[in-house]
Amino acid sequence: MMHSFVLALLLATTTQAPPQGTAAAPDVDTCLSCHSEKAMSKTLPSGETRSLYIDGAVFERSVHGGKLSCVDCHSDMTEIPHASRPFKTRREFTVAYYEACKRCHFANYNKTLDSVHHVAEARGDITAPLCVDCHGSHDVTSPNQPRSRISLMCAKCHQGVQTVYAKSVHGRALFEEKNSDVPVCTDCHRSHDVGGPRAPGWRLRSPEICANCHTNERLMKTYGISTNVMSTFLADFHGMTASMHKTERTDAGVVTALCIDCHGVHDITKTSDKASPVMQANLNKVCQRCHAGAPKNFSAAWLSHYEPTWKKAPLVYAVRVFYAILIPFMIGGLVLQILLHLWRVVVNR
Amino acid sequence: MTEYVVRFNARQRVEHISVMSLFLLLSITGLPQKFYQAGWAETMIVWMGGIDRVRWVHRAAGILFTLLTFTHLTTAIGLVLTGRSKLTLVPTRQDFVDAIVTLRYYLGMSDLKATFGRFDYRQKFEYWGLVLGAVVVIATGAVLLFPLFVARFLPGEVIPAAKLAHGNEALMALLVVIVWHIYNAHLSPDVFPFDTSMFTGKVSRERMEHEHPLEWAEIQERQQRRRRDVWVK
Repeated sequence: MMHSFVLALLLATTTQAPPQGTAAAPDVDTCLSCHSEKAMSKTLPSGETRSLYIDGAVFERSVHGGKLSCVDCHSDMTEIPHASRPFKTRREFTVAYYEACKRCHFANYNKTLDSVHHVAEARGDITAPLCVDCHGSHDVTSPNQPRSRISLMCAKCHQGVQTVYAKSVHGRALFEEKNSDVPVCTDCHRSHDVGGPRAPGWRLRSPEICANCHTNERLMKTYGISTNVMSTFLADFHGMTASMHKTERTDAGVVTALCIDCHGVHDITKTSDKASPVMQANLNKVCQRCHAGAPKNFSAAWLSHYEPTWKKAPLVYAVRVFYAILIPFMIGGLVLQILLHLWRVVVNR
Repeated sequence: MTEYVVRFNARQRVEHISVMSLFLLLSITGLPQKFYQAGWAETMIVWMGGIDRVRWVHRAAGILFTLLTFTHLTTAIGLVLTGRSKLTLVPTRQDFVDAIVTLRYYLGMSDLKATFGRFDYRQKFEYWGLVLGAVVVIATGAVLLFPLFVARFLPGEVIPAAKLAHGNEALMALLVVIVWHIYNAHLSPDVFPFDTSMFTGKVSRERMEHEHPLEWAEIQERQQRRRRDVWVK
């Protein structure tokens, strides 16, 4: 309660417009009069060299160019020459200025506090990414222009995942066809409140991530993909199990197959691809990952995301039709006999 | 003092209580599994301690139900073969005649009432409905419990078909019990509020004369014969 109150206060007092520099604050040109010197640098106690050169043209082209002055972020560097700073490494410098962004971008800063990156940071991992690690500092530009830039941004640290993703059906469309419909990292993992498989409930809720796009009629129509994938999954035993666990907070002890268990995660391929694990020829091996020793016939227990029809699953369809007729007939008949009996009792009186 | 006959022996009464308890337990744990996407089903599952426990209880109760059904059928066959029981529950031509006569009576087409023996056609219908239903849910339940084993001999499609049949057959059984059995054992004007005979085993002379006149006549004849036999000896 107290928390949200403080939050509301903070939000109310945080202005979206950049804070006004005081009259004494130097403007960009003043700063650049020294910092446009390419050789300007400082050797830190760690032995690293920190370049102090700023390309004025790059800053001008950035989203902040013409909107912010240097001291809006470097708010403690108003006096010239600047007082000496206690930073031992380049990273310490970055960490120290990390919170400069939140003065304007408070909502997104706040979201980052829920991210796996913040968990790492709170643990004391100084390599955990901060705003500037993804967005850049003096050269901040729209992160999704083009969209593939997002995935390449994550690849700076997550190169292994990026390599796999680039070969997936989504990654190929993104990089080779410049397709902007496919998910990039942030569509599944979110951007500021980045989550990952170790987050509680992440795995169990992962089908919802897939469903975001795969139940979208308009989007799937473009690619000739069925939007029944979610409903048919939920009708199957695996989907039922996942669904009935949805009130639980953690994934612990939930043993069932989700989208990712058969289709893969970063390495999802087209189902028509010969290498696809869900290709009929390969499906039995996928079943055997959990059902050790599953016989050949076993994989046909899964109706491959098809609704049961005469053509696709005649036996299942027949059972459905049989009970759709029998149950109303049976119950209707019994109710009728009860009503007749009651009527006769009343008439006899 | 009301005269009564003992219509159900101890074994039959215990069987009824057992099948009733297991049926209830299986319904409570099974129904929310069939309608798992409904809000009330979710509430029930959470209330019972989560789906894993619900499934465990359902399977354990299912195995007990299987044992009960197996015991009942083998005992019944055994008793018939050794001549200690008659085929009083087997449907005969007379049952169809009785059903038509009763329907005509209900509809006011005739004032003739059917007279019944030990079990009337409604009781036979319910009994065989339960037995056949039990065979279906036990067979399909076994498929769901041992899908890998089943897939060795049968096509995989049998498994989702068994899942659908299991839930539907059980739903039908539950509806029959709610509509038909509750009416006949509780709500019917003939027995309201509670027909206790299945628990005490006893049925009054009045009810026997009214509901099972042929059986009542048989019992009396048997008693007379016994008395006569004693006299002759």
